[in-house]
Amino acid sequence: MTMAADVETKPQFPIPIPDRDTQPFWDGCARRELWIQHCTECGKWLWQPRPVCSSCQTPEPKWAKVSGGGRVASWTVMRPPTLPAYAEMVPFVVLLVELDEGVRLLGYLVDDGGRLLKTDGIAEGLAMGSRVALRFYDQAGTLLPSWTPAE
Amino acid sequence: MTRPARVAKRRQAAVVGIHALPFSKSIGTTERHGGALAILGALKDAGLQVRDVDAMFRYFWEGTTEMEMARILGVENLRMFGEVDYGGGAGPPVTQLAALAIENDLADVVVLWRSRNRSSGGRPWASQYHATGQDQFERPYHVARPVDGMAFHMRYWIHKYGWTPEVTGRVAVTERAHAQRNPAAMMQKPMTMDDYLNARMIADPLRLFDCCLETDGALAMVLTSAERAADLDVTPAYVTGFAMGSGPQMTAMTFFYGDELGVTPNRWVAPELWRNTGLAPKDIDVVQFYDAFTPQIPIAFEEFGFCGEGEAPAYMAEGKNPPYNTSGGGLSEAYVHGFNLLVEGVRQVRGTSTTQVGDVGHVLVTGGNVIPTGAVVFSKEQW
Repeated sequence: MTMAADVETKPQFPIPIPDRDTQPFWDGCARRELWIQHCTECGKWLWQPRPVCSSCQTPEPKWAKVSGGGRVASWTVMRPPTLPAYAEMVPFVVLLVELDEGVRLLGYLVDDGGRLLKTDGIAEGLAMGSRVALRFYDQAGTLLPSWTPAE
Repeated sequence: MTRPARVAKRRQAAVVGIHALPFSKSIGTTERHGGALAILGALKDAGLQVRDVDAMFRYFWEGTTEMEMARILGVENLRMFGEVDYGGGAGPPVTQLAALAIENDLADVVVLWRSRNRSSGGRPWASQYHATGQDQFERPYHVARPVDGMAFHMRYWIHKYGWTPEVTGRVAVTERAHAQRNPAAMMQKPMTMDDYLNARMIADPLRLFDCCLETDGALAMVLTSAERAADLDVTPAYVTGFAMGSGPQMTAMTFFYGDELGVTPNRWVAPELWRNTGLAPKDIDVVQFYDAFTPQIPIAFEEFGFCGEGEAPAYMAEGKNPPYNTSGGGLSEAYVHGFNLLVEGVRQVRGTSTTQVGDVGHVLVTGGNVIPTGAVVFSKEQW
């Protein structure tokens, strides 16, 4: 999609607009893979994507494919939607997941098949520190990293 | 060589003028108009004229630039101007810029203001469908509102420190009681702990009354040198010191990707503030802590060292804390990016708050704590 097309057509959901620094992440998502920057000089895992390693200042940190396994670091339950497109989805849970590599990302709470769970998280026994596994949620054509309970 | 006169003697800055238009759900005018009226009111309060003004600083989010405001009001020349970004983090930092300008003899009369039609003007994220920068990893998941970011922090603090809902409920109830004594406050209805607990969830675990108001408001402050303040018919609020801080690996509102979860930039602002002012928490008589959301208050008491980490619930339940947000704050007076907290801080020094805390020596005012931010101390006595 070109920028011109973006301006002309209001998407249903907010859509990520990748740039040179973030494109590898979104390219990975399109293949249902999670790629995170991993500085090969100092070993630091980096999130969000950046043009320089903020630990050792090496330019253009390398990217590495990760399993996406991690633990719940925090979460919220979305109820009153801010945009019309979410109205059918609420209530739903957005997780802050700490990957086994140590970085934290946001993602939806989904079922094993990657479908959004209409839930406040109680039925799933959502708890701090519980294990989650990576899935991808298809939001109107955008594949978004999301997580499903793994215990 | 001889030191320039500018640095031969470091001056002190003082707030000498304050003004607020009536807070409302719909102010019925432009932010530009409201801001101009607030500035004229603050100049009148100080006994100064537009022709005296020679510097302005603003929040980056202020829709009217210093250039435009100076042009509208008829300011001859701005010797210094500038903006500070990051929403509600900017209040103490713009005050710091004003004080630095005066201390360094770069300006004599500085105007600060915040005019925001946040209630009638709509919600900034409601039309933003193209997510760039940090937003591209957040907005697609509906993490767009400030309250969405705060929800992750609050859940973590509940987990880490064992907070009960009453910890934040106490903040909401306390500030409402302050608002009821303040005729200018938007929220006059009494609030009980049951009212707080029974209110609907907005972004779980934040309930309705954990969240600040949506306000149309316009406020301004005027600062000048202590020497010039002595010639004015006002009680100056002397600017004793200030500090700014971003903290490491900062992202606005969603400050949870860094190495340590749950800390805010105030962990870096606080030691710098105490070093800068030469004061300690025990010297502070009353605080105006940034309160877009209730959990920011107990965390601020901890991070500024009024009590230890994790101790705020007991510290506050036992009433050991200095009074906070005595106008009703962002939760119950008005939410204008914390500018009303600055103005209330000045009132406490003047002795004119509707919840006056006796004879106040020092007031601490802080900016939003999940964004780059700052803090300032207003005092009754000069250096």
